[in-house]
Amino acid sequence: MMPSTRTFTFGREVMLMVVFGALVLGMPQWLTWIGGYEALATKVLIWALFALGFDILLGFTAYLSFGHAAFFGTSAYVTGLMLKHVSASVIPAMLAAVTVNLALALLLGALILRRSGIYFSILSLAFAEMLHAAGLSIFAKWTGGDNGLTMDTKPVLLGIPMEGRPVFFLCAVFVILGFAVARQIKRSPMGLMLQAIKENPTRLEYSGVNVMAYKFAAYVISAVYAGVAGSLMVIYEPYVATKFLHWSTSGELVVMSVIGGVNTLLGPMLGAGFMLYFENVVQSVIGEQWKLVLGLIFVCIVIFLPGGFMDLWRRLRALLGRAKSRRDNVPDAPGSIQEAREANYAALANMEEAS
Amino acid sequence: MAKKTDTPKERLLNRRQLLKGSAAAAVVAGLAPTFFIRNAWAEQAIGNYPVNGSSVVFGFNVPQTGSYADEGADELRAYELAVEHLNNGGGMLETLQPLSLTGAGVLGKKVEFVVGDTQTNPDAARTSARRMVERDKVIMFGGGSSSAVAIAQQYLAQEMGTVFMCGLTHSNDTTGKDRRRYGFRHFFNAYMSGMALGPVLADAYGKDRRAFHLTADYTWGHTQYQSIKQFTEAEGWTTVNNIMTPLGTTDYSQFLTAVLNSDADVLVLNHYGKDMINSLTQAVQFGMRELQVGGKDMQIVVPLYSRLMAKGAGAANIEGVFGSTNWNWTLDDPGSQAFVASFSEKYGFPPSQAAQTCYVQTLMYADACERAGTFYPPEVIKALEGHSFTGAGPGEAFFRGEDHQCFKDILVVQGKGPGESSGEFDLLKIVQQVKREDVTYPVQTFEGDLGPYEPA
Repeated sequence: MMPSTRTFTFGREVMLMVVFGALVLGMPQWLTWIGGYEALATKVLIWALFALGFDILLGFTAYLSFGHAAFFGTSAYVTGLMLKHVSASVIPAMLAAVTVNLALALLLGALILRRSGIYFSILSLAFAEMLHAAGLSIFAKWTGGDNGLTMDTKPVLLGIPMEGRPVFFLCAVFVILGFAVARQIKRSPMGLMLQAIKENPTRLEYSGVNVMAYKFAAYVISAVYAGVAGSLMVIYEPYVATKFLHWSTSGELVVMSVIGGVNTLLGPMLGAGFMLYFENVVQSVIGEQWKLVLGLIFVCIVIFLPGGFMDLWRRLRALLGRAKSRRDNVPDAPGSIQEAREANYAALANMEEAS
Repeated sequence: MAKKTDTPKERLLNRRQLLKGSAAAAVVAGLAPTFFIRNAWAEQAIGNYPVNGSSVVFGFNVPQTGSYADEGADELRAYELAVEHLNNGGGMLETLQPLSLTGAGVLGKKVEFVVGDTQTNPDAARTSARRMVERDKVIMFGGGSSSAVAIAQQYLAQEMGTVFMCGLTHSNDTTGKDRRRYGFRHFFNAYMSGMALGPVLADAYGKDRRAFHLTADYTWGHTQYQSIKQFTEAEGWTTVNNIMTPLGTTDYSQFLTAVLNSDADVLVLNHYGKDMINSLTQAVQFGMRELQVGGKDMQIVVPLYSRLMAKGAGAANIEGVFGSTNWNWTLDDPGSQAFVASFSEKYGFPPSQAAQTCYVQTLMYADACERAGTFYPPEVIKALEGHSFTGAGPGEAFFRGEDHQCFKDILVVQGKGPGESSGEFDLLKIVQQVKREDVTYPVQTFEGDLGPYEPA
């Protein structure tokens, strides 16, 4: 089965990247037209990168990690400690953060990837919570405990102070790069294998494929995305909150992916943007009831748009007759079933009429 | 154009095309910044100074959701009242001395305000504060409950060059090791609670008591435990044990069992909000208030008290329990009375200590601008540092310049039983108004560095 019914062509790919790049780079502009502000654009990009990496794991392989905060938070702390104690330069801090994250992903992956489904989710959550508890207790001397890691450092990249626009562009570069890489993974043989793991890992194993190696790769790649995002978060704001390690960060990530549309790459990023926009802009209009409204929106999306925002896009296209409706979160293409059913009904009706 | 490959029906990218595409993307990415960056850093002002137009914006960042939402709602009421009084006069504007405010705005500008939600969470608080500074162009921001939130915002304030008036924060760190030039605290702290409570407790319960602490496991709990331990031991008490309890614990039975199994005759609850309500109620259910240990009546102490907590725990449970508080609405000095009168008139019930501290510090900031004659942050900060004033509560209050802690009279209170209470808001009895001199400590007690007047 093809993971996606549309083929990758050079023209399309370039078009997509140009439009995507323009949207990302122009974000500080268009976000202010709808009540946003520059710092929010940066934060949206960081979360978008985090969600994008998460989609490589959840979207491609359907392994639902409830502990991605472990990578985000660990990386944030490493970056913070490097900036505070070693050097205000961004490059060594990011390198150290990604290295530590890689090691953590290898360790955790080896421990928890042997399980799947709910057991995998619970294990990932358990390890993340252990790290969170450790950050508040035995590492409190370094992490600053509940106060968070505070510092006076101003991060610098090649002599450019990382504030305002420069830090936005740094994040934009990572997001555009990250998106291009994720698209390439998706269309590569490896992407196909990952989609196959979602369909039927046992069968894949029987055909001689090393399933563990593939899902391990997906896990580590998504951890690296999370690590870069966590690191950027601290460069954008030289402060590390204990919340970065907390399960609610993982939870938010899952919610973003679901409302945006799992396995679409663009969807989770949209979801991240929507959540942050709502939390920071709409909230100031609605007031203290904003969480209630947000909850209602979730419920509506889950009931009426199970494929998230990207599903809405697909439905619109279907309405306009430009493409057949596809839903990637349903294994079998519902369109074909529907057609088969209709054909059956028609045949039955014919038989009844004939008799 | 793309060439056909061996794969049927697919026209795949080849490497050359990928390189071409990447090069094109790099050119776009390289040029775009020059278009957007144009006048980004033209103005070398601090924060949102200078203030243009006929109005000035204050930002109030309070917990509207999360564990301290009740306090946040009361803080917001106080802020609205403060803005009303700044623009139209009334309230403490009639009692504060010295005062440069006229009741016609600040420096001739009408005060407007924007509101944010800290969610009782440092990260969310910083994002919300950033929105106020960047989008809503606030000249100052204030509010919040929980010391972790206050400290996180203080650092942001320093970074952004925008003055932050801390809301309800009681940890020693806020004006101790994490003090910042752009942050001021009107509220008292755990160290002052210890200084005030120590002698009163020794007086009431004797000098040879054995105390067992249960402590909320975060910055505020830690510093409060340290302070109460220090000042009760100075009176001759012994600290038997301390157990750190996770923030948000609902079942305290395992910790209370440990207390019962020890020979302690005083239980100190370093808990706040819902934690305190749960731990106190459960301790009462364990029969600790009727217990005799070594011939002495078992006692419970709650070092940081608030009326909202007393209400949650219930009058029967708090009867006679000692604690300390920053302010109480039953105080009869003219400042407190003026505030209580206008607050009650507007909302129909008396304000909490969280409301009072937020109200006062907003007026103090505005007054400092008037006295400095400018909104320029370094000048406003200098006007606040070392400033003394009366009429905002009992006695004279003083913002110490070296650590930005406000010193004033604080209260040792005792819970009122159902028999004594005259209504649902009358829950705390003032045992002693502890004089400012008795709760002032040398600035060297805590190490810290305020940082520069002008953020780099």
